[in-house]
Amino acid sequence: MAGNKLFIRRRDGRIEVRLNDAGRAVAREAFGHVVAAERDPDHEWHASLNAPIDPASDDDDVVSKLHRQNEISTNAELAVMTLGEEFLNGAEAWAWLSTFQIALRSTAIANGLMTEEKLETCQPELLGYIRTLQQFLFALAECV
Amino acid sequence: MATETMVAIERPWSVVVWDDPVTPMSVVVVIFKKIFGYSNNKCTQLMLTVHHEGRAIVWSGQRERAESYCVKLQVAGLQSTIEHDQ
Repeated sequence: MAGNKLFIRRRDGRIEVRLNDAGRAVAREAFGHVVAAERDPDHEWHASLNAPIDPASDDDDVVSKLHRQNEISTNAELAVMTLGEEFLNGAEAWAWLSTFQIALRSTAIANGLMTEEKLETCQPELLGYIRTLQQFLFALAECV
Repeated sequence: MATETMVAIERPWSVVVWDDPVTPMSVVVVIFKKIFGYSNNKCTQLMLTVHHEGRAIVWSGQRERAESYCVKLQVAGLQSTIEHDQ
């Protein structure tokens, strides 16, 4: 039964997006935040996008940092560009999954929700947002 | 006369993935499969190690490749670091 699935992989390899307007609005907000956070050092998600590669070192390799920044931006921008699409190809679906996952972890880090206890006791609205992103990720992980 | 040869073996670098309370387990498996091309079983085992032990070494070897894998994992949204094996 595929009736309640948010994303469905078709036989031709395309992934059908079955999000309604409210779901696409959540996706738009999440993707938009990732694009903004990568560009704005003051954005509350910026630190989570720039975690150390080698914590034992004073500074990470500049080329690796630039590569990461470029890849995150490319994925997030591709996700934004395809927000209105009914079908995604494999690369676009991967960009959606990566960007949703970054949005999910960044939300948790920015709100100090890095333990199960803190997650379960956070504000209902925030928990609802996190559960929605997780639901999108569960569905996408079955398709990519 | 015997010749003594010293072979210096460089200690490998490890790519470590860290647990967090929000990332769905199935997403971790999918990301490992995509980045490393491991079997479904191996990806599931690694994911369970992350979940139960708080971290797992998912790859070891040359520093440049370890750094590259670490960046790919971070781009996919997982918390990952590299460390020099003892």
